[in-house]
Formats: sequence, structure tokens, C-alpha cells
Amino acid sequence: MLGAFFDIAKREFRNMISHPTLYAVFMIIVPVCVVFFFTDLMHEGLPEKLPVGIVDLDNSAMSRKLTRTLDAYQNTKVVARFPNVREARKAMQKMDIYGFLLIPKGTEAEAVAQRQPKVSLYYNASVLLAGSLIYKDMRAVTTLGGAAIGQAKLQALGFTPKQIQAFLQPIVIDTHMLSNAALNYNSYLSTTIIPVCLSLFIILITAFSIGIELKYNTAPEWMHRANNNIVLALLGKFVPQTIVFTLVMWFATYWMYFVNDFPYQCSPWFLFLLAFLVVIVSQGFGIFMFGLVPSLRMSMSVCALWGVLSFSISGFTFPVDAMDTELQMLSWLFPMRSYFQVYQINVLNGFPLYYTWSYFVAMLVFILLPILVLWHIKKALTKYIYIP
Amino acid sequence: MKEFFAKRYRALGDMAQIFLDEVKMVFTDEGVIIFFLLVPLLYPLLYSWLYNNEHVEDVPAIVLDESKTSASRDFIRRCDAAADLKVVGYANDMEDAKKVMMKQGCRGIIVIPSTFSSDIARGKQTTVSLFVNMSGMMNYKALLMTLTDVSLEMGSEIQIQKLGSITTREDEISTHPIESQAVAMFNPRSGYGSYLLPAVLMLIIQQTLLLGIGMSAGTAREDNRYEDLVPMSRRYGGMYRIIFGKGFCYFLIYALMATYLTIVIPRLFHFVQLATLHDLVPILLPYVLACIFFGMTMSCLIRHRENVILVIIFTSVPILFLSGVSWPGASISGYWKGLSYLFPSTFGINAFVKMNSLGATLNDVRSEYYCLWAQVAVYFLLACLVYWWQIRMAHKHVLHNEKERERRKHASKFNIFYRH
Repeated sequence: MLGAFFDIAKREFRNMISHPTLYAVFMIIVPVCVVFFFTDLMHEGLPEKLPVGIVDLDNSAMSRKLTRTLDAYQNTKVVARFPNVREARKAMQKMDIYGFLLIPKGTEAEAVAQRQPKVSLYYNASVLLAGSLIYKDMRAVTTLGGAAIGQAKLQALGFTPKQIQAFLQPIVIDTHMLSNAALNYNSYLSTTIIPVCLSLFIILITAFSIGIELKYNTAPEWMHRANNNIVLALLGKFVPQTIVFTLVMWFATYWMYFVNDFPYQCSPWFLFLLAFLVVIVSQGFGIFMFGLVPSLRMSMSVCALWGVLSFSISGFTFPVDAMDTELQMLSWLFPMRSYFQVYQINVLNGFPLYYTWSYFVAMLVFILLPILVLWHIKKALTKYIYIP
Repeated sequence: MKEFFAKRYRALGDMAQIFLDEVKMVFTDEGVIIFFLLVPLLYPLLYSWLYNNEHVEDVPAIVLDESKTSASRDFIRRCDAAADLKVVGYANDMEDAKKVMMKQGCRGIIVIPSTFSSDIARGKQTTVSLFVNMSGMMNYKALLMTLTDVSLEMGSEIQIQKLGSITTREDEISTHPIESQAVAMFNPRSGYGSYLLPAVLMLIIQQTLLLGIGMSAGTAREDNRYEDLVPMSRRYGGMYRIIFGKGFCYFLIYALMATYLTIVIPRLFHFVQLATLHDLVPILLPYVLACIFFGMTMSCLIRHRENVILVIIFTSVPILFLSGVSWPGASISGYWKGLSYLFPSTFGINAFVKMNSLGATLNDVRSEYYCLWAQVAVYFLLACLVYWWQIRMAHKHVLHNEKERERRKHASKFNIFYRH
């Protein structure tokens, strides 16, 4: 029994080495590239110096001060001044700038004369991240600009700085961004997008590597080595892959949490355990999918179409709670939804495992799913012939 | 002269035949059916359903009210009344509140200090704390915005009480010497679907085209005795015939699909739609062509049909990020930008977003427009090169095989023991 297992495992290792374009590329090189890609693309954490414009019709000391202050903010950079709104709008439509501040004529004079001028800030809301960052900075600048004037008036009335501050902003909101105090988008997106990508690869390669046995008609020989025992055949085939995938996943974990220092509040061991879980959950899901549609092409297509949806339905960008109820239930059918919940509850926030037991059960179910279709896979491997 | 026309005429006939072969393949090969027809038709519906609600509403928050005064209750009431936030309960202490958060019962904890109303009464600044679960940025934004708005609103009311000015207008002016007005352009509801969908729709065009073309190429190779891309038939003798014949088939299908994706879907789901089909055709035409020739060029790399799925799926999400919609294009470093110029989707997505969501005219997106046509030209030439090479390979394999057969025949004549 053990001999047969090692025999098949050896066969699988040989397989991987003799087809480097297939296995080495898709199991190691591409996943590692994906890890580098996302962490490097978003290395700023928060996009910095997003281009904004100014339509300064006032040309006063105050309007110039507003411009300078806006330029000094971390997320924005004033790249252009426009003579009128039309030009600025044109630049927005070309996406040369993500927003602009309109300071109408006479702003300073009206502010001094207490006639409450109106400054308008326009931002591009169709690119959510850039738009909201620019909104934040422009809002802060205009509020502070207004506050400066109020401050001058109150100073003249003889208030102390503390009183002035309390008067200008009686209630302050002190936001505690739990576990991501720097509002780092790299750690926010990469920690989910990378495992989801890798899991998708694992699911596809799992389905692929069973299907390819059918295609090249090597399935009988494979089953023969396993003494026609399907469990042994699958274990022998996938344990070597588990090893390789786990190493890749651990590299990704190491790269994210220890090189890029993404925040985590669990024990480091748990990170690696979770990475391993993602691997076997994905493999279980891939085998199950192949069992459902035991043909190379169809099973891969189904896996691909199903897997791509994981990016949306895991809920890390658009929360699942805000989706329709049917979708909230369907989200249980996606292995990576469970990963994301475990990640955000146990890893990111460091809450006890007790609160994620249901997701661990879901993962266990995904790992055991292949049992349901063992007979089907066996039938496919022993009886079917490959039809292209 | 006559011969010249006869030759052209025959080439046209060959092209038509190649076109028909390809159409037949598209509608009989189930793999290609899935990616050419089902995915472009159904996926957008699915995505639209996912993001149908556009934005988050009633994000659950729990309140720890240490003040328990009418002022603090007023604050809470205003928060609860806002569209984005919902107060789901009151906690007695922080441990209580934390437990609810652990159970995923709430996304944020609002802590109102015991000195809340006395601070206000004494003219001191008071601090309301907000603890947010950072697992979802949309939830975070909703909570923070609501609380900021409420604090500003209540703050100016407090100021007005303090000032005791003569007219309400004077109150307004002293609290807001400069009024600021924010305008969310192009996506007034800041909807998530309106933001992501246009990019996804354009990406679907490219990725499914690449998948379909790649699969068809993979099948052609697998059916071929020498694993060549081009079958050895007189009809497939000229590269222009093959490229135009196949290309026309893909083009017809994708002319329909592109219209469906860019016009029908946004209308069905009420996403922002500023461009008409008439405006979009000049962009969609080079985009689809660039994708087709890009696909044909890439198909030379495809040995087996299933590998296509791996390649395309692996690249989809990175390509979406490279287009500069989710992560702002201005913050993408030079080398990634250079890489992104290889894909038609980069220009296609940007041109479509600008025209459809931002209301740009063709003139505004001319850089994308020229880049797309440049890609059409480059990838067309590359596709020609690929097919020219493939035709040569096919000829060579066949010739080699003929020679081999000749040689064997010859050998067997003289030496019957020397048979292989």
C-alpha cells in the first residue's frame, strides 16, 4: 500500500520535472510573479500625489494659500491651473486630473467682508479610490481655509487658542482603524487577492492534472500502479503537488507578512497553517469539480468560471453583507469566502478561533468533498476515453 | 492579367471557406461555445447582480454611551438616521462591544465619552471615538463619513448657540466663513458597480476572445499530425487568407458581443452610460481588431488547448489592475506601465471608461485611439509573421515526411533487412 503510494508520488514528481513548461511555470513561476506583482504595484500603500487641478478665478493671497496647502497634502499634487471650469472638466474627462478645486472670483474679498463665498470641489467618483482620497484632501483644505478666517475673527474678540479650537470644532471624531492604522491598501488588497489568485491556480492545476491523464491515456497505467484504488491514486498524485503548492503559499505568506510587514494579530504559525489549509481546500475543490464534470476541458472551464467569481464574492472589496440575500447564501459555495472570513477575523483582528468555527467547518467540507465523487472519477479514469 | 484575377478570385474563395470552417468550429466546439458565447452573455449579468446594490447601506455599529445625556442621545439618533449607518445596539462596556464585533454583529464601535455633554456645555472640545473593523474599506468609509457629517452638523449648531448673534445668517457666516460644496462627478452615487463594471465588461471582451482564439488554435494543432497550427491544405496556403478568413469570423461574433456588453448591459442595470453606440464604434472597432490579432499572435505559443485557460485566467486580474482603474493609473510605476501597453485592454478600458462614464469625446481619447490602431497594425504584422512561419513549418513537415517516405521506399527496395 505504502509502496504503491510512493510509486505514484515518484511518478508525479517525475511528471512535474519532465514537463517544466507546464508544471514549473504554472505551479511556481507564475504564482511567485503574481505575488511580486501585487505587492510591488501597490508598494505606496496609499496612492500618493494624485494629480489635481485648480481653477483659480480669484487670484488672491488666500486662493494661492489654498493651492499651496492642497499641494502639500500627501495624496494630492496640483499639476495644472485652468483658466475656466470647461478646461478643467476636459482635463478630468481625459483623466489627466482626478479632481479640481474651483475658487470663484472675489472669494477672499467676500470672506473678509463676511459674505460667505462658496468654493467648489469636483472629484472623479467613477474611480473610487483616487476619487475618495482627493475628496478627503480637498475637503480638509477648504474646511481649514475657512477655519483660518474664523480663527482671525475670534482672536480679535480675545479668545484663547484652546477656546478657538473648541469653538471651531466642538466635536472631534477620533478614528481608530483597528489593525490597519496606516490605511495601507497594499496590505488590505494583497492579503486577499494573492491567496485568491493562488487558490484559483491550484484549483485549475488540480483539475488539469487529472484530466491530462485522460487526454494522454495514461490513466490506466496510473490506476494500475494504485492497484485500482482511487483513493491511493489521488493521494499519490496530489501529495507531491500539495508539497509544492504549500511551499509557494508559504513563500507568499512570508513575503507578505514578514518582508512587507503586513499587519497580523495571530500567531505566525497560524498564518502558515492557514496557507496550508488554502492549498488543500483548493485541491479538494478542484478534485470535486473534476468529479462533477470528468472531462479535462469542461472541468477546467467550470473551475475557471467559478474561481474568477471568488474575487467578487469573497467580499473583500464590496462587502457580502451589502449584496442580495441569495448571493450571501451562495457565497458559502466559494472556498475563498471562508478564507477571507478567517483572515479578517482571526488574522487581521486577532479574534479567537471560536468565532470562525463555521468557516473552518466549511473548509473541512471542501477538503472532504472529493469523497462524494470518488466513484465518478474512478469510472472516468477506467472507462472513459478522451474525446477532444 | 486574367490569371492575376483568377488567382485573386480563388484566394477569395479560399478565404470564404476558411471563414465557414471557423464559424462551424465556433458553434460545434463546446469549449469555444462556452468562452465565445456563454461567458460574454452571462458573466456581465452575474457581475451586475453581484454589484447591483451599488453601495453599502446601514453598516451595523454598536454604541458605547458613557455620557447618557440628551446630547449624546441626540448624537446617536442622528447617526442612526443617516442612510449609511445603523445602530444595532448599546454596549455597557468595551468588552461587551468587542464581543459583538467579534461575532461580526457590527463593523464599528462608537464611544461617546462621559464628559460629552459637560464638555460641550463648558465650551471644551470633546472627542468621540470610532473603532472600525478594517476588513472592508467600503464599510470603513461609510462609518467615518457618517460620523464626520454628524459631528460637523452638531458642531455648527453648538457654535450658533454659543455665538448669540443677531441674525441666523450671521450665525451661518461665522460657523462657515467659506462654504464648500463637493460635487461627485460622473458617478453621483459613488456606486461600486458603476465604477468596476465598465472595466470588467471591456476586459471580458479581450479575455474571452483570447480564450476562444487560443482554444481554436490549440484544437487545430492537436488535430494536426505534426502539431502544426496550419492544416496542410491548399486552401490554407496563404497567410492573408487565413488571417482574414478567421478574423472575419471572430469579428462578426464580437461586433455583436461588444454591442451587447457596452450598450445593453449598462442600460439593463442602470449603470452610468454617457456614450451611445455611435460614439463608441470608433473605439470598439480597433479594440476588437487589436484583440483578435493579439490573440492570433499569441496563439502560436499555444501547444495544447487547455493551457490557454491557465494562461488567460492567470493574467486576468493583473491585467485589470494594470489598466489603472482600481489602482489609480497615476500611481503605477514605469515598468508596469510599459508592460500594460502590450495589452489592448489597457487602452480599451481607459477609452471606454472615459467616453462612457466621464462623457469624453473621441477627440479627448485620441491618444488611446491612436494606440489601439497602432496595436492593430503591430499585432496584424506579427500575426502575419506567425502564420507565414507556421505555413512554412507545415510545408517543411510535410516535405520532410514525403522525403522520409521516399527514402524508406528506396531503402526497402535495395535492402529488405534494413526496414525500420
